[in-house]
Amino acid sequence: MATANASTSSKNARKKEVKKETGLGLAYKKNESFGEWYSEVVVNGEMIEYYDISGCYILRPWTMVIWETMQAFFDAEIKKMNVKNAYFPLFVTENVLQKEKNHIEGFAPEVAWVTKSGQSDLEVPIAIRPTSETVMYPYFSKWIRGHRDLPLKLNQWCNVVRWEFSHPTPFIRSREFLWQEGHTAFATKEEADKEVLEILELYRRIYEEYLAIPVVKGKKSELEKFAGGLYTTSVEAFIPNTGRGIQGATSHCLGQNFAKMFEIDFENEKGEKAKVWQNSWAYSTRTIGVMVMVHGDDKGLVLPPKVAAVQVIVIPVPYKDADMQTIFEACSSTVQTLRVAGFRAEHDLRDNYSPGWKYSNWEMKGVPLRIEIGPKDIANKQVRIVRRDNGAKTDIPISCMVEQVQDVLSSIHENLFNAAKEKRDACIKVVHTWEEFMTALNDKKLILTPWCDEEEVEKNVKTRTKGELGSAKTLCTPFDQPSLPEGTLCFASGKPAKKWTYWGRSY
Amino acid sequence: MMALCLPSLHLFFYPHPNLRSSYYPYRVPVSSKLRASLITKEEAPEAEEPPLPSSLRALDRKPLSAHEGTLTPRSVDFNAWYLDVIARAELADYGPVRGTMVIRPYGYAIWEAIQDYLNAKFKETGHSNMYFPQFIPYSFIEKEASHVEGFSPELAVVTIGGGKELEEKLVVRPTSETIVNHMFTQWIQSYRDLPMMINQWANVTRWEMRTKPFIRTLEFLWQEGHTAHATAEEAEKEALLMIDVYKKFAYEQAAIPVIAGRKSKAETFAGASCTYTIEAMMGDRKALQAGTSHNLGQNFSRAFETQFTDENGQRQHVWQTSWAISTRFIGGIILTHGDDAGLMLPPRLAPVQVVIVPIWKKDDEKIGVLSTAVTVEQTLKSADIRVKIDGSEQRTPGWKFNFWELKGVPVRIEIGPREVADGSVVVSRRDVPGKLGKDFGICMEPSMLINHVKSRLEDVQASLLRSATLFRDRNIVDVRSYEELKEAISQGKWARGPWSASLCLVDDSQRR
Repeated sequence: MATANASTSSKNARKKEVKKETGLGLAYKKNESFGEWYSEVVVNGEMIEYYDISGCYILRPWTMVIWETMQAFFDAEIKKMNVKNAYFPLFVTENVLQKEKNHIEGFAPEVAWVTKSGQSDLEVPIAIRPTSETVMYPYFSKWIRGHRDLPLKLNQWCNVVRWEFSHPTPFIRSREFLWQEGHTAFATKEEADKEVLEILELYRRIYEEYLAIPVVKGKKSELEKFAGGLYTTSVEAFIPNTGRGIQGATSHCLGQNFAKMFEIDFENEKGEKAKVWQNSWAYSTRTIGVMVMVHGDDKGLVLPPKVAAVQVIVIPVPYKDADMQTIFEACSSTVQTLRVAGFRAEHDLRDNYSPGWKYSNWEMKGVPLRIEIGPKDIANKQVRIVRRDNGAKTDIPISCMVEQVQDVLSSIHENLFNAAKEKRDACIKVVHTWEEFMTALNDKKLILTPWCDEEEVEKNVKTRTKGELGSAKTLCTPFDQPSLPEGTLCFASGKPAKKWTYWGRSY
Repeated sequence: MMALCLPSLHLFFYPHPNLRSSYYPYRVPVSSKLRASLITKEEAPEAEEPPLPSSLRALDRKPLSAHEGTLTPRSVDFNAWYLDVIARAELADYGPVRGTMVIRPYGYAIWEAIQDYLNAKFKETGHSNMYFPQFIPYSFIEKEASHVEGFSPELAVVTIGGGKELEEKLVVRPTSETIVNHMFTQWIQSYRDLPMMINQWANVTRWEMRTKPFIRTLEFLWQEGHTAHATAEEAEKEALLMIDVYKKFAYEQAAIPVIAGRKSKAETFAGASCTYTIEAMMGDRKALQAGTSHNLGQNFSRAFETQFTDENGQRQHVWQTSWAISTRFIGGIILTHGDDAGLMLPPRLAPVQVVIVPIWKKDDEKIGVLSTAVTVEQTLKSADIRVKIDGSEQRTPGWKFNFWELKGVPVRIEIGPREVADGSVVVSRRDVPGKLGKDFGICMEPSMLINHVKSRLEDVQASLLRSATLFRDRNIVDVRSYEELKEAISQGKWARGPWSASLCLVDDSQRR
């Protein structure tokens, strides 16, 4: 064992190491350089690590907890609906991929191909799934014989690869990402339609109840719907800083198109041969990117309490000759109490970082609530709580700490949601003419217009708005339709309008 | 009906002309010969074994009716039985690409049970989950050429993405050491950053020549843990801790009496200081490596310059471990416990623990029987027992008995009009055939029923472990000489003997 002198001198040496300056601050501001801010915050918050392959990212534990929390919720909900998890292969053969022509047209440009095994060339290149319809549906055809085999409801949690060339963005647009994809088959269209909306509601709940993000439920236009499907519903979010819409999750009714291609027939109750009605639905790690973009600020990440890996961080505040041992014990017991009550609480007792450094560090990581304990707090049998969302500081007595923490966390969630909703609503602009539309587009708005619902008109809008920032497109036709007075004309074509639709630039 | 032609069984048996023995994680080619000589020869005929009492091996259970097609009996063709059971119990199907498999919900539910248990254990032992990309630049793989020498013919290589030839070839991960070490080097600076303990649940791809559902597939699911430590002692402790986690899991959840041990030098993962393994004996007495834990020493940290500054300010290389269990384990469960009637699933991992078969002859009996079945189902569900009613009207009770036995459900509850009248049920165990395995007149009163069912499930769990242990022990012979070893192997048994652990002795026995 080292002598007393040696240990004191090493202690002194270590004291000098105590990090005071944060050096942690973000170089970029959210409102000034959003793109750079985003890339910085996901790295500094220890969610993402960049990788040697462009468009592929490493998901660190801080991210995985968020993913796993959403997964646990969604998985439990679909199990209640009798959806069963399965696992289909990563690889799909070319001939099978080609089966649904429209589908393949939509995805072919993005497929990654395995062409070699080791040093030798494969006779036939093999594709890596961009989505699993073509992998799974031959088995639907094999497994479904009669109406008693229906409904068939399968889901898988897996990774998919889409080799895109557009600007990769962590979580939002990456070449490999994690998701769930549900694929179901029914005897009737009514059942399929019903499930499409049930699942869409679950997606809304993920965004609003877990991620504190307001979304709009709506139907995609014919141009934007899933390649090969009948209709697509989605939840749409909006990023005010960039004025871009972002597709949050999709729930498609595939109709009978894939059933025709893959010969998924069944014998119905009358003994006739019929084709099944199918759905597919998915949400991905993109949800996490939306969460960062909507809630993060110039100090770093801001995590909604329900998904935060750490909900409460307890930090000791030394003061002059204070008895650190007592303070440490108070921190430990606070963490214990909170954990027993079901909160995800941790303490940071590292002696080589100052409290100030720790505050910045955990703010960067977006922990919703910080508890500070110093000698004064111990004397007064209280703790100081500091909210990440608005910085509010309050001293609360230990006796009602658990209830107060519960209330504060709920309040943080509500506050995050309301603030996000306010910002989003402030971006909505109702327009009736092309001029108004262009102005709103340049003002980075989420634009609500009356529209004649014609594909040619939509394509025309896209062409006319093409530019550096990307063209404007329909985001969705909201289920919640404002009233459409007779005689209202489409903003783009001047023809009679059929419905209100959201337009904007998007991710 | 379908143009798609699913590969025939033949592809899984007939060796490809370019056959190269390839191994499940962390093996080098030479080990195949060693394994073959020490354990059992694939071509050797099954030795005759004296019949075990029926309570221990239910070989006399009636197979499915001819109408459905019978399972190949285990003693006739063990491999065919294995493939039959996987297909008939709806565990898996063959993928569109040779050697890949579709894990059907029933099989996947077993994987989820394994995941839930291990995930909790990994968190308890301080590990965090991460997710690394699936693609590895070819240059990374080349960096540690010696380590993946055995893998290189098995690598799936992507050269085209989005319609364009890629600038650099990408490998679909066969294992993630290279990426993990690459990142560890960036994240680890000082002793305060250690230990770094992470895990990922992922799919990996190895372009195998010979494949077998669950046991060896082109793509499989697994977890791979990777840790970095400041001292050799810590790394060793971690490697042993994890093999122990796996061993406890095998014994307590899967009822598989694995033998935990250390691999010989020839069998150790190229790049590891030492490899710990859990080996299970399957129903045909072949060994299955069910999980591995490697002490990697400083081999990788030296190759990747993964260093840290210690408390004295000195730069040192980290000490590492890695450990994995995969969907192969499900194959192990099938091969250890099944019988000629099908699967036998250990209750703790079974997706369905109790199946309720309502029995009625006349229509007026049906309503009473079905509603009683529902009541019993609710009762058991309230006690968190995984229960299912098979109320379908298309199949006879006899058919249902056979079907759910094939699916390995541990306990069956039979409810007929007499039971409805008596307020009792018949509880039947999967592992004990005939009347011996049935309890008649079990009261439906909730607490009594729950207690009875729970203790039956525990009985089945314990009995599966007991009979697997007995079978294993009957087939291990202690040997003291090479002649005795040869004798044991020729009988299809495992030999256990003192060994000098010298490499030249190993080579010698391989040759012989």
